[in-house]
Amino acid sequence: MVGNSFRGGVHPKECKERSRDVPLRSADPKGDLVFLLGQHIGTPARPVVKKNDPVLAGQILAEADGFVSAHVICSCSGTVKALEKRRTVSGRMMDCIVIQNDGEYRCTGNWDKRDEFTALRTEEILSRVKAAGIIGLGGAGFPTHVKLAPKNPQAIRYVIVNGTECEPWLTCNDQLMRTNAAEIADGLEVMLALFPNAEGVVCIEDNKPEAAAAMQKAVSGRQKMRVQVLPTKYSQGGEHSLIRVISGIDYPADMLPADVGCLVDNVGTVYAIGRAVLYGEPLLSHVMTVSGDAVSHPGNFWVREGTGFRDLLEAAGGLKEGAEPKKILAGGPMMGIAMGSLDVPVQRNNNGLTLLLTDDNEAAEKQATACLRCGRCLPTCPAGLLPQMMAAAYEAGDLDRFEKKLYGMECVLCGSCTFICPAKRPLTQMFRQAKAEIQTARRIRAAGGEK
Amino acid sequence: MSTAYNLSASPHTRDGLTTQRIMWTVVAALAPVTIMGVWYYGFHAFLVLLVSVATAVASEYAFCMFCRKPVTISDGSAVITGLLLALSLAPSVPLYVPLCGSMFAILVAKCCFGGLGKNFINPALAGRCFVLISFSSTVSSYKVDGITSATPMMTMRAGRAVSITQMFLGRTNAVIGSCILALLIGGLALWVLDIINGDIVLSVLISFTIFLVVFGGQGVDPKFLLAHLCGGGVMMGAFFMATDYTTSPVTRPGRILYGALIGILGAMFRVFSSVPDAFSYSIIISNLFVPLIDIFVVPKPYAYRKEAMALQRGEPKKNLLQRIPVPVMVLAVITLVSGFALSGVFTMTKSTIEEQKLLANSASYQAVIPAAQTFETDDDLERLLSEVGGDVYGSDFGRVTINSAVAGKDADGCLAGTAISVTSAEGFDGDITLTVGIDPEGRVTGISFTALNETPGMGMRADEPAFKDQFAGKKVDAFVLNGKTESDANIDSVSGASTTSGAVVNAVNAALDFYRMAKGGTQP
Ligand code: SF4
Ligand code: SF4
Repeated sequence: MVGNSFRGGVHPKECKERSRDVPLRSADPKGDLVFLLGQHIGTPARPVVKKNDPVLAGQILAEADGFVSAHVICSCSGTVKALEKRRTVSGRMMDCIVIQNDGEYRCTGNWDKRDEFTALRTEEILSRVKAAGIIGLGGAGFPTHVKLAPKNPQAIRYVIVNGTECEPWLTCNDQLMRTNAAEIADGLEVMLALFPNAEGVVCIEDNKPEAAAAMQKAVSGRQKMRVQVLPTKYSQGGEHSLIRVISGIDYPADMLPADVGCLVDNVGTVYAIGRAVLYGEPLLSHVMTVSGDAVSHPGNFWVREGTGFRDLLEAAGGLKEGAEPKKILAGGPMMGIAMGSLDVPVQRNNNGLTLLLTDDNEAAEKQATACLRCGRCLPTCPAGLLPQMMAAAYEAGDLDRFEKKLYGMECVLCGSCTFICPAKRPLTQMFRQAKAEIQTARRIRAAGGEK
Repeated sequence: MSTAYNLSASPHTRDGLTTQRIMWTVVAALAPVTIMGVWYYGFHAFLVLLVSVATAVASEYAFCMFCRKPVTISDGSAVITGLLLALSLAPSVPLYVPLCGSMFAILVAKCCFGGLGKNFINPALAGRCFVLISFSSTVSSYKVDGITSATPMMTMRAGRAVSITQMFLGRTNAVIGSCILALLIGGLALWVLDIINGDIVLSVLISFTIFLVVFGGQGVDPKFLLAHLCGGGVMMGAFFMATDYTTSPVTRPGRILYGALIGILGAMFRVFSSVPDAFSYSIIISNLFVPLIDIFVVPKPYAYRKEAMALQRGEPKKNLLQRIPVPVMVLAVITLVSGFALSGVFTMTKSTIEEQKLLANSASYQAVIPAAQTFETDDDLERLLSEVGGDVYGSDFGRVTINSAVAGKDADGCLAGTAISVTSAEGFDGDITLTVGIDPEGRVTGISFTALNETPGMGMRADEPAFKDQFAGKKVDAFVLNGKTESDANIDSVSGASTTSGAVVNAVNAALDFYRMAKGGTQP
């Protein structure tokens, strides 16, 4: 059964054929591993190792600092080489811990004994999740143990497991669901133990029938969970879109999913929660897809955190003969981040590496014309915004109209409007700018108010 | 490996549809109607098209060069403007008409307002109105093979029937782009390809039709409605002009409102005024409302709509009936009530009109058969009436029609005579309607006029006894006007009004003939 869809959305080319049937393999790096202290949302972690300390996989390198923060955990064995600033996916220099990898991958434990979690109290479950250093593996990287402790757990009605993978090129979650369905269901069971009134819903787009069948099999016979197959459409996996589809509620940007009784986590995160609570295994590696038309052997990989993107590309057989990629993306082409170099470390919330021979944005700049007022951008917006008018307001310098009359802050930067625009106008790009300007202005106003 | 990768903000992929693709698809969709136009109207139509398109493109090029702006002609929008303008001109216009029209459309209506995406009225329509005003007589004369004749719209306005099939195929006397079939093929293709917005098309056509049904005075008459939909540029307007991106609103509710405005204005001009090209004006007027619509019709994001906010507060989901907004319900009720009221007024006035007619008729029946107490329908008469059914009666009486025929009964229920109402369209000044009374022996008992609008002092004198009474008491096969031989059948003409007199004599003869036919053909 295919369920309802959210409103809006677009259909970019899926481009998943090259990697969708390639099973997950582990990609063990040879070079140094680099760990960011501040890859999650919240306060950066506080380092607990010194230069030249020997470390094992599973060992905590930096501890969560404050409530909204997460541990940074080593994913290989070796020695601490440096604590310094390194260039990251975003292009910025950030505080990192660099580990010289000895290539042996000795661990602090073997995590193969299954615990029964039914006897555990909520705090124990949360502390295991925190100890495993789990953060949201898809979106912004919100610390999971914080997300799992909303003010009123009784009010949560849906725990939504996001297996939609609507981003073009990416197929790693598809493979994860095909091969590790039972463990994902375990993870969901653990989560449901925290929310007595919630139903677990695994959402999968209908372009992944194998994954849906595997998940269906895994959830059958378990209480309070089901699989929901959704139509394939980009931005289906957005938090707002999923919540709208499952609960029927549209909620504004200043509300949290928990405020409307929902909780959304990526399949990878749910898998990690299951492993952490049942086996005590910390989050050492997560799944990623390496693909794109410039890659010789696209595939899906278990990638250790801190691995360099260049090592990851090597795992996929490197570039195609003579291929010169124009664009390399951490993630897919809709929401991924364009990187200037491959010499940056993988973060826990990266789900893919896409190398493309052509740069649509470059071409778009050449084809750009004035806005035709064709209105195509409006119905694609999953939030029901009016991108055409928002862009006009931004260009006219009228941020007040952008924010108050057109609700510009509701934009989730999904990119659908830019994708569809025949005049090739950089709408999402403008909105990102506008939102940043408005936020800065708000901060300045708040600071001024305090004086 | 080079490390100079392109940086950019997401998204990094784009849909294949570009401005150029859209514009050239529209041009392709106009191809069928263009080809049909040239095929039917001939070489001059082709020249009109050529001049119009070439001028449009050249004007845009010149403007861009003059203002040192990037040249935008390759986006195809100028070609569309030129094509649309030519397609809405008569095929016989002199070539300076498309030349001036196109220049005005591109230079004044489009470029001066900032070009593609910024002009506020449809350039092609602006060009058309410009030439309509500047060269009005040349532009609005429609000639085929050098003969001026009426367009289907003029014919309809004169109250005569038009052939919908001919309009559908574009074989009428109208603008170059008048083949409805070809317009529909192109328009529907654009709709299916999602190039034009179906909301606008539908709301134009639906509101136009509804207005005509309610105020057109013909109710739901498919022939009447189709004729209106197929004529006067409605299809071209709805599919190709109202949907112009730049001059229509961007939001969905805005578009529906805008479409309805065009439809209603267009139908209103059709019903209540006699300007030609009313539909063009209705689009242009609606264009002017677009900036206003875009300011005031701004839908809220989903999360801020009433229903969503109630759900956020944890209120239960409403059922279908509760979800229909109150204003919509109020509007629906108002529409229904006023619809009923209107149709009620219509039927009431209609029946009074008919009653009055009957009253007038019965007075004239009484006048010609004074012996009768009541008038009834008669089977023989009815049968023949339905056979001749309002067509011109016979071939010897000019343009005469038989309106009604009733049998007059006296107090005992015996036949006192037959009254037949006849109309001749050959009066000096329009129709003459009169009633002829015939007694059971076939003798004329008298005539009485129910409609006579002849010249006072001349034709009008037909209503004086000196003329009228000549018919009474005579039993003849046919009366003769100013007969040479002495006979009962002779009728002396009203002096100076032989046309009127002749029409009256013919009408009476037709009534006599009808009577004989009805009574079993006691013909000579
Ligand atoms: S980027 Fe923002 S405005 Fe554009 S479609 Fe997405 S949410 Fe809507
Ligand atoms: S899709 Fe692009 S051209 Fe069309 S209205 Fe939106 S911004 Fe303008």
